[in-house]
Amino acid sequence: MRDRDLILIVDDEPQIQRFLGHALVAAGYDTCTAGNGAEALAQIAAQEPDLVILDLGLPDMNGKEVIERLRLRSDLPVIVLSAHDQEMEKIMALDLGANDFVAKPFGIGELLARLRASLRPRRATRPEVIRQGGLVIDLGAHLVSRDGETLRLTPKEFDLLAALAANGGRVMTHHKLLQLVWGPAHVDDVPYLRVFIGQLRQKLEPDPAKPALILTEPGVGYRWAQPEESPP
Amino acid sequence: MDYRMTCKEVIKTMDKSHRVTPDRRMKSQSPPRLPSDERRWMTAPRLSGILGAAVLLITVTLLARNLHELLPENVSILLFLMIVLVCAAAFGFWVGIASALGAIAAFNLLFLEPHFTLHVAKPQDLITLALFLLAAGLTGFLAGRLREQVDAANGRAAALEVISQLSAELAGADNAEDAIRVALRHLHGLAQGPVLALMPQDGNLRPLAALPAGYVPEASDLDAADIAFRRGRAELASAKGWSGSRLSFYPLAGETGRGPGPGPARGPVLGHARLSPDRSDREWREQAIEVVLGQAEQALQRLALTERAEAERRRAASEETRAALLASLSHDLRTPLSTILGAVTTLRELGATLPADSQTDLLEAIEEESQRLARYVEKLLQVTRLQAGIAVQMTWVDAGDAAQSAVQRARRAWPKARILAEVEPLPMIRAEAGLLEQALFNLVENAVKYTSGPIRVTGAVEGAEVVLKVIDSGKGLPPSLAEWIASDETTGAPQGVPQGMGLGLPICKGIARALGGRLTAGRSASGGAVLAIRLPVPPASE
Repeated sequence: MRDRDLILIVDDEPQIQRFLGHALVAAGYDTCTAGNGAEALAQIAAQEPDLVILDLGLPDMNGKEVIERLRLRSDLPVIVLSAHDQEMEKIMALDLGANDFVAKPFGIGELLARLRASLRPRRATRPEVIRQGGLVIDLGAHLVSRDGETLRLTPKEFDLLAALAANGGRVMTHHKLLQLVWGPAHVDDVPYLRVFIGQLRQKLEPDPAKPALILTEPGVGYRWAQPEESPP
Repeated sequence: MDYRMTCKEVIKTMDKSHRVTPDRRMKSQSPPRLPSDERRWMTAPRLSGILGAAVLLITVTLLARNLHELLPENVSILLFLMIVLVCAAAFGFWVGIASALGAIAAFNLLFLEPHFTLHVAKPQDLITLALFLLAAGLTGFLAGRLREQVDAANGRAAALEVISQLSAELAGADNAEDAIRVALRHLHGLAQGPVLALMPQDGNLRPLAALPAGYVPEASDLDAADIAFRRGRAELASAKGWSGSRLSFYPLAGETGRGPGPGPARGPVLGHARLSPDRSDREWREQAIEVVLGQAEQALQRLALTERAEAERRRAASEETRAALLASLSHDLRTPLSTILGAVTTLRELGATLPADSQTDLLEAIEEESQRLARYVEKLLQVTRLQAGIAVQMTWVDAGDAAQSAVQRARRAWPKARILAEVEPLPMIRAEAGLLEQALFNLVENAVKYTSGPIRVTGAVEGAEVVLKVIDSGKGLPPSLAEWIASDETTGAPQGVPQGMGLGLPICKGIARALGGRLTAGRSASGGAVLAIRLPVPPASE
């Protein structure tokens, strides 16, 4: 087992690889690079990285294809770098199994936070109880309390909360949430999901108008805000 | 087979666009008039026929009179019968009947008792008379029918010839006016009188052409055409002695999707002189005229469709290039921005843990990418300026200086690239120095980005042009790109252009044009691409 996580940077722009290399090394990771999709798949097989940062606009194949091929044999975390005009591709990439995305241009802090959120479950087993501020979510006992006071949630609301909180810090697409909570027949019922998210926010958020726990990723899904752990 | 069917089938085989629209004159107007089987054999006798019959009759009468003694009576009567048959067959029903009466009269006068009177003594002579009339009538009828069939066949053949010629010519017409002129010429041939074509323009009609040459349409013609145009139906010629136009006007449907019926027609209007009602060939001429009109209409609609399809294709293509341009533009802008933002945030947030040389490298990256961004922004501004059509400030410029300065700038931007300047002393030209330098710089930039090996920038005079070339050592331009450079398009880059090339070449082309010159593409002896900006040398600078 390596003591530093190995990150594969897949981007056809040498300048992006250049600054990401410096930044990730400084942040305590090892890096390797690939300039196109084929090279990326070869590097993944050879180097077995712990995480892949994947640009969606690759010259030889699109990012989706890389994820699709990758997901056939591995659940290696993938963070997608996307541009604003690649919205659809981004959502498809996430639905295909990418773990998260960062929109270009981005600050390094944002990328590192996503990186940590995606790497975390590989190191720790899933906790039974999630504590955050005054909020306690007991996944085994199906209990939620804030500041010692038990909150009343319907079973669906609890399932939705559990799906979000268990993946704290990572984006959950509409598709993924609907499938997890309501099943494959309801993957397109996004308005339905929106209603339940609204109810959860009413019950959980200190100020439901300015959500601080369940964050909206416009057009993509929701993200459970997780307080930053100290970097490794 | 009906004549109409024949024409339609000819059209079908000749004109694949027959499905575009049903010809309203053929289908939805008055029921088709069949060839006049019932009437033709009774057509009015001609003078020549009457005279011919008279001559024949007199000849036979004299002959029979003189040979009276030699011939038996029944031979004489056969002679007369023969003449009646000949007259009926040659000159038609009425002449046949007349000659039968004449023959009976002559026979009666000469051979029947009492001689030299028309008195009929014996009842059997009345039967002879009746038989003569019957034979004459029957023969005249049969001959008339036969002649009519011959006429019809000739007419049909003539019409088919006109139509096939028309079809071929219409197929060759590449705009509405040409098609109308073609139709008009054939219409003139068929109507054998003045014909007139009018085109719609801003909701009104404007005379386009008239035949015979020199025919000046009268006010009544224009009025009638206008009525046909506004009402969307035929305006027939007024008969002789009545006021109104002597021409019949037919509005053509200009656009597909406009069915027959009332309401203003939007297509051209064709008018032709009324066919004289006593022409024996009127039938097929009228029918052929209808086919000509229908064909012209179809041709117009085909042209309109083609035009629309072409416009649609152009629009789609320009949308595609615009989308490609936008995509490449967003890539070109976002990549340096990502690097700058990423490097700056890295320095700020991780600066403490970064080794010194990493910090230096990040700062260099920021500098390089800022310059790259500045170049893009510069290009964008120029595109905007070229597209906005802002006037170019032409001054006397030494093209060699502009080339040298572009080379200097390129060497600063890409210190590792081998850029050679081979510029001869050049005459002064009229240009805007900044634009010219930018165009050359863009060409060098493309060469640096997409090829390796030395890049030559040359300047020389070729004929009346100053030619500034950027010659790379790559594999040459993709054919689609070379084609695009040779085309008139300036709006966007062609398909299949590598990212980042999105702006450079359209700008070069735009600049070359704005300076009164052009951008050309070629191939060097070693196979590399040669992109040349060619600018005219003004006479005064020689």
